[in-house]
Amino acid sequence: MSENTTASTSPGVPVEDPTPFGWLTTADHKRTGRLFIVCSLLFLVLGAVLDLLVRLDLTSATEFVTLGSDSFAQGFAFSREALTLLFLIPAFLGISMYMVPLQIGASNLAFPRAATASFWTWKISAVVLIGAYLGNGGPYGGWANGVDLHLLALSGLVVALLMGAISVATTIMTMRSPGLYMDQTPPFTWSSLVSASMLVVSLPVLLGQIAILYVDHRYGRVFLLGNYGVWERIDWIHRTPQLFIYVVPVLGVAAEIVLATARRRVFEPLAMYFTIGLVGLFGFGAWTNFGITGEGADIIDGFEGVVLVALYGGALLGTVGLLGLLGLAVIQNRKLPKISTPLLAAFGAGKLVLVGALVGLIGSAVDWLEIAGRGNDGNPQLRMTTWVTGQQSVLIYGAGLLGLLAAIHWWAPKIWGRQLNELVGLLNFLAIATGALLAFAGPTLSGLFTEQPDFVYADPATTALYAGWVDDSGAEGFSALGAAGVVILITGAGLLLLNLFISVGLKKGLQADDDPWGAQSPEWMLPSPPPMGETDELPMLTSGTPLLDSTESEEVTA
Amino acid sequence: MSDTTPTLVSGEPQRPRNQLVATGFACAAIAMMMAGALGFYMARRHASGPHPGSDWLDGLAVPNPQFDYALLTLAASMVTAHWALWASRRRDTAHAWTAIATTILLGLGFINMVMYSLNRMGVEIGAGEYQNLAFATTGLALAVVVVGLLYLGLMGLRSLGGSVGQQGSTAFGSAVFFWDFAALVWTVTWYTVYVVK
Repeated sequence: MSENTTASTSPGVPVEDPTPFGWLTTADHKRTGRLFIVCSLLFLVLGAVLDLLVRLDLTSATEFVTLGSDSFAQGFAFSREALTLLFLIPAFLGISMYMVPLQIGASNLAFPRAATASFWTWKISAVVLIGAYLGNGGPYGGWANGVDLHLLALSGLVVALLMGAISVATTIMTMRSPGLYMDQTPPFTWSSLVSASMLVVSLPVLLGQIAILYVDHRYGRVFLLGNYGVWERIDWIHRTPQLFIYVVPVLGVAAEIVLATARRRVFEPLAMYFTIGLVGLFGFGAWTNFGITGEGADIIDGFEGVVLVALYGGALLGTVGLLGLLGLAVIQNRKLPKISTPLLAAFGAGKLVLVGALVGLIGSAVDWLEIAGRGNDGNPQLRMTTWVTGQQSVLIYGAGLLGLLAAIHWWAPKIWGRQLNELVGLLNFLAIATGALLAFAGPTLSGLFTEQPDFVYADPATTALYAGWVDDSGAEGFSALGAAGVVILITGAGLLLLNLFISVGLKKGLQADDDPWGAQSPEWMLPSPPPMGETDELPMLTSGTPLLDSTESEEVTA
Repeated sequence: MSDTTPTLVSGEPQRPRNQLVATGFACAAIAMMMAGALGFYMARRHASGPHPGSDWLDGLAVPNPQFDYALLTLAASMVTAHWALWASRRRDTAHAWTAIATTILLGLGFINMVMYSLNRMGVEIGAGEYQNLAFATTGLALAVVVVGLLYLGLMGLRSLGGSVGQQGSTAFGSAVFFWDFAALVWTVTWYTVYVVK
């Protein structure tokens, strides 16, 4: 169905302008969603390449291999910022912007122009951020005005993401179809609400901190060590448990795909909502750890240890509960579901969230027990080693990218009207899963066996030239393993972009009908893709699985 | 649409309270922003040593009466904002105009009094740790008040411009709610930075 012709025949709906100006001023949630998805994928490649360079630097204990002593810290900081603020959060925000209104029977987002403004603010801020780094203005950078610019760009990114999150959350709260109660919404919509709400109450903390950092850095550098005091205050947004908030939508995607493939409802919907909510809830509170105090990421006393163990334990419990419920749904179906790229990626992503929570729990429990048992013996805690880098890798690359692969393959018919190539998709899954596991295993093992430090705030160059921290050179091999994983991951991300280009851009993908997967949630009742501008009549929904309801009633009648 | 899928049935049009809910989310975000800034402030103050005793204020004296008057002005503006909301719900244009104008004047007066108090106190940016922290936290709180004032003025004009009805009234109600919240933000900031210090 042609988007423009449909839009022009839809009464009472503004016709979308197909020119670039139309993309700039669009009030269509589908366009904004697409912009977020595609741009965040491009930023993923950029962030992953910088991460690769950082990891290559760590493959030698005696010299900087790639970035050099001046640029290492900035490369490290940029890769973290790009992978979270430029990739993980906006990618799932984009999918939420596209899918949520379709899943709840709303004609659009609650504030479509605010959503568009959020995209362009995010995009411009991202460009400014990159510009600041290029001018040697990131944290630890030598260009003072550039460091200020970096802080302003970070503020812009946070404000943009908050605008988008508020738009999505408000849509879910107020624009559900009459009769579709909150406990009947599809799992992805629920996970979007949890994630957006938790973003709204966690990311602004960074704004408050940036205001103080900016004032002190720009005027006098009285107490925060200038450019050396920036990163340790803002690093919490790239670490666990905050990362769990970013991967909550992954759990929604996994639930959506597994249940639809198994053609079952979850056995206890409230339990499913509860488990997803639990992961989001226990992701909250990272900012209290060292963002405020500036005392470093290590556990300083028993109380902090207990809190962290509880946070990771809660996230683990939520993930285990959800995966258990999904497993039950598959077992209830009594036949194996058809294997496909989205299903494999969804299962993989869910399990890697579990691994992320488990690694966090083990790390914090070991550190806590060490503190409780004999105090800090001077050796770096596990949470201060590359153990943390491994955890970040498994959550961002593993859960995040696999979850995104699942979501894009699953909803490509609804977003672009075409199915992505399944064979390339399977290769893609293998590449991303293998790459993520290697990128996780390398630093995790290095942290465990060689105590290689994750990052030294006061003297970042020490991180790269870590010879003084380790007794043997095992860390070099582990770093090389992690770097190899990132290379495979970048290949996987490239494959995904290539698949999108060939299947969608060149229109080589199969043209999709309304419900190519035989799925059950409301968006599959609409044409693929839904017309731009959409209908101005709200669909009446009384269930989050209308297609399954319909099939079942037909079977009963027959 | 394929023949196998059920047809969508048009639902009842809703009366969404989008603006009120979004304002609530924005307030939650701002509350956390202030929590981040004030938490930072308190952590630094705690690290500076026992109080009293340390020279945390860099020798500055807080002009309490001026800050108290500013707070009273803000409290008065909350009353007039609710007066405006009450009048707009009754479609009483004359009262609504008067109340909105008074609220905006009181809001501007509040900002002026805070600026005067800071000048009188001698806060100078870049001159010391307390002064930088006070500048940043107070600046954030004042920014929230300015946003509240703009929101109130804009929604007030919209409300008086004809869209008073149910939706217009809800929109103006959201702005008044935000104004109350802005007053709360200022009160907490003032208490933390200028009373407890």
